Amino acid sequence: MAPSTTIAQQLASKQREISVAEFFERNRQILGFDNLQRALLTTVKEAVDNAIDASDDARMLPDVLVEIQKEGEDRYRVAVTDSGPGILRREIPNVFARLLYGSRFHQNRQARGQQGIGISAAVLYANLTTARPAKITSKVEEEEAAHVLELAIDTQKNLPKIVSEDLELWDRPHGTRVELVLKGRYLRGRQSPLEYLRGTAIVNPHARIVLVEPDGTRSTFERATTDLPPPSRETLPHPFGLELGELGYLLKASRKPTLTDFLTKDLQGVSARTAREVLDAAGLKGREAPGSVSGEAQEQLLAALHAANLVAPSAEGLSPIGAMLIKRGLRNVLGELRPEFFAPPVSRPPKVRGGFPFMVEVGLVYGGALPADQSIQILRFANRVPLLFQQGACAVTNAISNMDWRRYGLDQKGGSGLPVGPLLVLVHVASTKIPFTSEAKEAIAEDPEIDKELTLALQAAARHLRTHLSRKSRREFAGDKFAIIQKILPKLAEKTSALVGKPVPDLTPVITRIMDVVHVEAPVQSEANGVRVPVAVTNYTPRARVLELFAEIPPEAMALATFDPTPDGTEPELGRVWWTLPKLAPNGRTGLTISFPPKTDLETNDLDWYVAGIDEAHVLGADPLPGDWDVRLPRTIVEASEQAAAEAAATGSTEEEVDYDAAEASATVRDED
Amino acid sequence: MPPKRARPSATKTDEEADQPKIRADALAPTLDLARQIHSQLVNGEIPRMRLPLRTKQNIAFQSREGVWKLGKALGTRSARKLDGALMLLRTFYLVDFINEMSRDRKTSTLRELYYISEGWEEGKFHSEDESNLLIEDLEVMCERLREEFRLHPEENGASVIGDLTIRERNRKGIVKKINCRDDVGDGGYSLPFNVEKEKIDFVGTNAKFVIAIECGGMFDRLAENGFDEEQNAVLIHLKGQPARSTRRFLKRMTEELKLPVVVFTDGDPWSFRIFASVAFGAIKTAHLSNYLATPSAEFLGVTASDIENYELPSDRLTDQDIRALQAELTDPRFATSEWRAEIELMLKNGKKAEQQSLAKYGLNYVTEHYLPDKLREMGVL
Repeated sequence: MAPSTTIAQQLASKQREISVAEFFERNRQILGFDNLQRALLTTVKEAVDNAIDASDDARMLPDVLVEIQKEGEDRYRVAVTDSGPGILRREIPNVFARLLYGSRFHQNRQARGQQGIGISAAVLYANLTTARPAKITSKVEEEEAAHVLELAIDTQKNLPKIVSEDLELWDRPHGTRVELVLKGRYLRGRQSPLEYLRGTAIVNPHARIVLVEPDGTRSTFERATTDLPPPSRETLPHPFGLELGELGYLLKASRKPTLTDFLTKDLQGVSARTAREVLDAAGLKGREAPGSVSGEAQEQLLAALHAANLVAPSAEGLSPIGAMLIKRGLRNVLGELRPEFFAPPVSRPPKVRGGFPFMVEVGLVYGGALPADQSIQILRFANRVPLLFQQGACAVTNAISNMDWRRYGLDQKGGSGLPVGPLLVLVHVASTKIPFTSEAKEAIAEDPEIDKELTLALQAAARHLRTHLSRKSRREFAGDKFAIIQKILPKLAEKTSALVGKPVPDLTPVITRIMDVVHVEAPVQSEANGVRVPVAVTNYTPRARVLELFAEIPPEAMALATFDPTPDGTEPELGRVWWTLPKLAPNGRTGLTISFPPKTDLETNDLDWYVAGIDEAHVLGADPLPGDWDVRLPRTIVEASEQAAAEAAATGSTEEEVDYDAAEASATVRDED
Repeated sequence: MPPKRARPSATKTDEEADQPKIRADALAPTLDLARQIHSQLVNGEIPRMRLPLRTKQNIAFQSREGVWKLGKALGTRSARKLDGALMLLRTFYLVDFINEMSRDRKTSTLRELYYISEGWEEGKFHSEDESNLLIEDLEVMCERLREEFRLHPEENGASVIGDLTIRERNRKGIVKKINCRDDVGDGGYSLPFNVEKEKIDFVGTNAKFVIAIECGGMFDRLAENGFDEEQNAVLIHLKGQPARSTRRFLKRMTEELKLPVVVFTDGDPWSFRIFASVAFGAIKTAHLSNYLATPSAEFLGVTASDIENYELPSDRLTDQDIRALQAELTDPRFATSEWRAEIELMLKNGKKAEQQSLAKYGLNYVTEHYLPDKLREMGVL
């Protein structure tokens, strides 16, 4: 009967639990429902993420149908149907109508959603804005019929309320359908469901996604592969990433008999010897039950763990997309833009920050219908989820802006900021814990470790772009020359001859003087009976040439190749092959062929061509042989190289003439004063 | 009486006997160019032409002659580069076309030429700018006027009224003798685009000077008041910035008839530039200054001091006007103490006035007082 108890009781009676509805209202922005357009997008996003995760977990190929219908002014019906494993009847209410009920919260692995707020927040939002229950249809393979539940959330108790329940025959063997009616706004553009699904399709090339928009427009993203991504394995928590509260939770939940067992078997990276050192440093014995360690002892244990020399966290919990699938995904979804170049994607090795592994992947797409006069486009992904908002605040955008893209052949004012050009950059950051700028998970926060990896990955990808652009400009230069000798020169000769009434002269000497290059042409041609590379080498120089031609082929393709004629040397494991070509007179041409089996995955860009016996300035379509090839060249080729070098040195000082048309274009006076 | 569609060689009338001769070699230099390229091809050389650069750096004001001139810097147009090769090819499509026009006795506007090039395949022009520049190149290389190549702009030439007799070979090839006072209507004699000797020949004049007038209203005022007869003047309407044919005609009148030219314009910075293009030529036609510029032409008015002395109704100078005047202070064409004083005075007073503001004192004031006073002052009368 102490008065203090009464006061405490009085105070306690005033405290009431915040209802989930209030929680939702206060955290709308965090949850992604702060405006009508975003609410609709977030709803689609949560349902689709759930659908793909469910299929992936069950090792099934995701097949997702998203239907959005307009029900009235700012009122939409969103239905997302998947052909995943389905959900057991008893789990349905909790999965969809109870906040913070997730199976992933304490898992230490990469996953799309983590807090278990997602889909139930969408259900709650729908409940609150239209007073309509969510309709869930789900069937597991073992059962004959699908369960159909209409669910609402009891906002006082955060418990599911079943409004109605029924059984229904469904034409699918298994799967789940979520149907919500909510207040929202459907807009097209960069932050639309279509763009979200496009991004999702790029990084999930194993998924088939169909969107039906309110006006009936149907967009299908077919799957580009039937290979499922490797399952991201759950890994044990690493001490470097642990905070005190989490450690306490783990200790309490541990079923290990002793603290030593807990350290070596419930945590990652702690060897028996390290465990001994840690226990000594923390003044603990190791024989005590994990649950008995509390208070100050926990703090000392954590400090000792953080100071210990531990094995780095394992990257097994990561699920990168992989270079090959990035390329396939981009090609599959962006193919209609007819880009001229897909850079080989860069997948950096995993690194660690704090106690969490992460890795960065970058893909570049250039040209085609991408706009050339606007800033480049950035597709950001965190753990395979497209990030559509807050681009300016994201570490990915900053890493791109801080690079000098002019060095890689793009326009960029002052060498920083977003460059301008027909480029699309895909950046994927995968981690068991991604540092977002806010709980809305829309932008990745600045972090020196991540930034370093982003920069390295972007630079590696940009180097491929630079190579492509410089080859392209050489090709265009060659294109100009061919236009001159094939089209313009013959007409010029014809026209002037007719004007002066004389016969048309033989143009060979002029042609070789204008071109003054050896031209190597090696297009990859995909045909039904195989993939062929007909190589043509033409000597458009005024002198006879002796040349050695080298090809570098992806080794896996090289293993399948046949060559005609037989090469003079090969290094199959490096994908290298070379020939000594017959002597080529001016205007002379020779050819050879490489053949591969049908459907070999090969493009013209995948082959690199090199020559020896001539200097760089007199070759088109091939580069000088790199020094690291270390091939013993025939004596004739060595002599030809020496002669070519001398020739290049001698012609180095050509007469300085002003190009009339270049001067005119830049400075001719056009305006009358 | 000559038959209606007589060919010059078929019938010889008195008039035809002394008709102006078509410059026989007008197109010869174009064929020389073709010969040059053909022999380069035969010798296995990469076809090329060298021609004076028409860039700003190679255009200078020759203060001794008082005109813009091209400098000595040369550029090379070579088939080694795509642009050069294309321009060479176009050059000979153009040469072919103008020789064909000559045979067919046709002429073409610059715009028509641009469309004609649609049939030139690779040689097709991508803009009218491109075709105009090539024509100028050909003028420079052949030292001929584009009018001699039978190419002309759409702009119509100036009107002329006064006691000047010319012979013009008309479009049917017939030569007409015309007195620009007695044989024309109130609109005057209208200059064709080609005013070269083969087209127009001077027979004679009793006039003592030529007065070039900026605005149509003032030209009509002088004609209506009979200023040409009263003062023995040839009136010529500049129509704003004068066309090439107008400038060429003024040049020929001074050179061949020894007539002094005075220029009568509004009193503002833009009119100063109209005078400058008549007298000193323009940057754009620097390669033609010998044909087009009349350095002896004098500015009559309206001057900045006229605005004060005659108390003419005036407008304030706009910011644009002021910038134009300041630019003129550094323009070599206005680098004389008289012009400098005139420009500085206009800047100081901040006023501009139109020619027609002289009507403040009545319709006859300009012909009875203003012009005679000014002409006496200049020593023309």
